[in-house]
Amino acid sequence: MIMNKQEFLTCSGLQVKTLEFWLEQRWLIPEQTAVGMKFSDADVARARLIQELKTGFRVNDEGVDIILHLIDQLHGLRHALGQLRNGVIE
Amino acid sequence: MRNPYEVLDVAPTASSAEIQTAYRKLAKKLHPDLNPGDKSAEEKFKEVAGAYDLLSDAEKRKRFDNGEIDATGAERPQQNFYRDFASSDQAHPYADASGFADFMDGDDAFAELIRRGQRARANRRGQDLHYRLPIDFLESIAGANKRLTLPEGGTLDVKIPPGLVDGQILRLKGKGGPGTGKGGPGDALIEVEVLPDRRFTREGDDITLELPISLSEAVLGGRITVPTPTGLVTMSVPKGSNTGTTLRLKGKGAPRRGGSRGDQFVKLNVVLPKPPDPELEAFVSSWAKGKEFNPRKD
Repeated sequence: MIMNKQEFLTCSGLQVKTLEFWLEQRWLIPEQTAVGMKFSDADVARARLIQELKTGFRVNDEGVDIILHLIDQLHGLRHALGQLRNGVIE
Repeated sequence: MRNPYEVLDVAPTASSAEIQTAYRKLAKKLHPDLNPGDKSAEEKFKEVAGAYDLLSDAEKRKRFDNGEIDATGAERPQQNFYRDFASSDQAHPYADASGFADFMDGDDAFAELIRRGQRARANRRGQDLHYRLPIDFLESIAGANKRLTLPEGGTLDVKIPPGLVDGQILRLKGKGGPGTGKGGPGDALIEVEVLPDRRFTREGDDITLELPISLSEAVLGGRITVPTPTGLVTMSVPKGSNTGTTLRLKGKGAPRRGGSRGDQFVKLNVVLPKPPDPELEAFVSSWAKGKEFNPRKD
């Protein structure tokens, strides 16, 4: 589902201030359109992960930054690996 | 479902602080988003989270200790983890190739393989685009050809099949977003909204029309013309018809799969002449039997 900023706030339970900080940190990168930001289900799941890191595991902001960066690289790697496996290479 | 104390590896006498510490320690290692490749992590994480849900709630823990609820009492609802999205094949803004960028620079066979993999990623099928198209009720029954003006410019010709229902989605193959490289275009998915009609309503394959008739047609009967989705037809109203009397026109409803059609029901509504007719008034006031009849009796 694609949602606007207000819908995303309702769906994720975030405060506006928190969201703005996360956007500033580029922890969340919603699609920019002519009518404003557009958030996807992946953004909601990513926001939930950040919340769990912060409240569940008591990771601080620097830690979240590092973890997200590593997770993103890990998924990049997994993707590249998956493509190698999927016989993209003939 | 295992015993929650065993799951968290704590003694049944553990304090709530000990339980919290044990949970954090396990959850950190088992969180599915921190283990994107481990399918069992999600199950284990859910088990740990479930156990913690139960034992972290003093009330629930007491009831579990007393045997009032079992270990499943704290089952968590289905959750979509971030890894489910990040590992899909769709392009997303968080993808980061810096973890292996150095591998691609080399002259060796492995670097060539990865480079080809990256290029193949460019051969992606276009996105499916979603649209909404409102149509009239009669168009939904009889079918129509519509032209959809796209928000991003251009138009799309849509053939509405007869008998379509509200909310149905039409797929136009290859009319979606353009693909990249050798990936073909996506599809256009058009959700059709059937606008409500002033006169007709639909239930399943049958449609109902409320039709006004005059007092003399109601009392004496007669032949009247009736609109249907496929044009006007003639129908006879039997003598003594009343408001609410429903007549059936066989096979004038919505088309079904296989060629047959539902029926059209015509619900009559008797309407007195306007403006009030003095002759009718005079007749009714001198009409003894009419005054005797009380439709609210029994």
